[in-house]
Amino acid sequence: MKKKRLLLLMSATVALTALLSLNSCRKDPLNDMTDEESRIYITNRDSTVNFGSYTSFSIVDSVAVASNGSTDKRALTDYDKQLIAAVKAAMQAKGYILVDKAAKPELAINLTRIDDTYSSSYYDPGYWSGWGGYYDPFYWGYPGYGYYFPSYYTVYYKERAVSIDLVDLKNAQSDKQINAIWNAMFRGSGVWDTNNVNNMVSAVFAQSPYLKK
Amino acid sequence: MLRLKNWILIIAGCLGMQAASAQVRPPFSFNFNYSIAQPFGSVKDYTDKTSFRGWQAGVQYMLTDQWGIGLKTGFQDFYERVPRAVYPTKGGDISAVQSRTLQVIPALATVQYQFTKPDAVVIPYASLGIGAANMNYEKYWGEFVDKDNSWRFMASPEIGVNIPFGKASPLLFNASIEYNYAPYKLAEITNFSTIQANIGLRWHIN
Repeated sequence: MKKKRLLLLMSATVALTALLSLNSCRKDPLNDMTDEESRIYITNRDSTVNFGSYTSFSIVDSVAVASNGSTDKRALTDYDKQLIAAVKAAMQAKGYILVDKAAKPELAINLTRIDDTYSSSYYDPGYWSGWGGYYDPFYWGYPGYGYYFPSYYTVYYKERAVSIDLVDLKNAQSDKQINAIWNAMFRGSGVWDTNNVNNMVSAVFAQSPYLKK
Repeated sequence: MLRLKNWILIIAGCLGMQAASAQVRPPFSFNFNYSIAQPFGSVKDYTDKTSFRGWQAGVQYMLTDQWGIGLKTGFQDFYERVPRAVYPTKGGDISAVQSRTLQVIPALATVQYQFTKPDAVVIPYASLGIGAANMNYEKYWGEFVDKDNSWRFMASPEIGVNIPFGKASPLLFNASIEYNYAPYKLAEITNFSTIQANIGLRWHIN
């Protein structure tokens, strides 16, 4: 009798412990998530900058591809053309005037697709300091200059992403460096899908009302 | 592992303490309940949906006809998906669909007082559970997660009724309401506070 009771108690204890570790009744947010819902659009800015003080801008003619640590590739796929066109149009809608890069633009826009899907690097601030490898300041007519990204421009990535960087050429001479004053990143599923470009670009410009002439 | 060891020790201790009074049903019982919980305060701001994903289980030993001690645990999953919105950050903004989740697993020691003798048709009771709760916070920004897992002190007063299926039946229907509180501070949550309803069975075993 006593043995039977002990057995029952033991099995009840085991059953309850098993229940405790049972976590299967939780709702998994990733289960029913659409690509659109999976994406996040991040913008950062230099809060000391008056974005209305700039007039003209220029944009790169191709998109840099930062793929699993390789730094030397630029591309002009349909996606890239769409991205360039959408960012160009968004900047113009904000009141900035598009000029050729030879015409001394006050602002420049660098575009980068990041493909670190298979890379093990999780946090790599060096990505930013290695920036010159994609669009060397020489591209913008400032050979020997370095880009300066404020400290909040750290990025966590292990994925495909897209980065739009707005840099200040107007004050490059006096600062002896090219400051990034605004950045936007697309992260999540489908950020490299041409069909999503317009929505994503609209989102980051819409959430940055301070960015206007 | 520690918890399992504690349980075995406590159960062994309870076995050694045989109640002297004439028993309507054996002093040792366990229960299993389905739980629904409604968040309050800052937890409600974080995830405002009532949680229908929960359970509760416990063991209890009646020291006298009306006083019992026990242990209880459970699980409750809070979840809310917030449509796309723009959230300010230190240096800018993030546009995201947020999926806010919180899973709570309490491990509490309980003391219970039953307002009637065990041969009553309905046995109302009040109990207090004190212990710790594992809080698993996962806030998804799109598919990217901010997470934190930690233990906090938890107190949960409870009132309820046990209704035996027939006069000395070892099986009882149980329904209860409890308030759960934990001093849990994380991101937008300043305190954990929920009201939980439980419905289930209690079984006294020899």
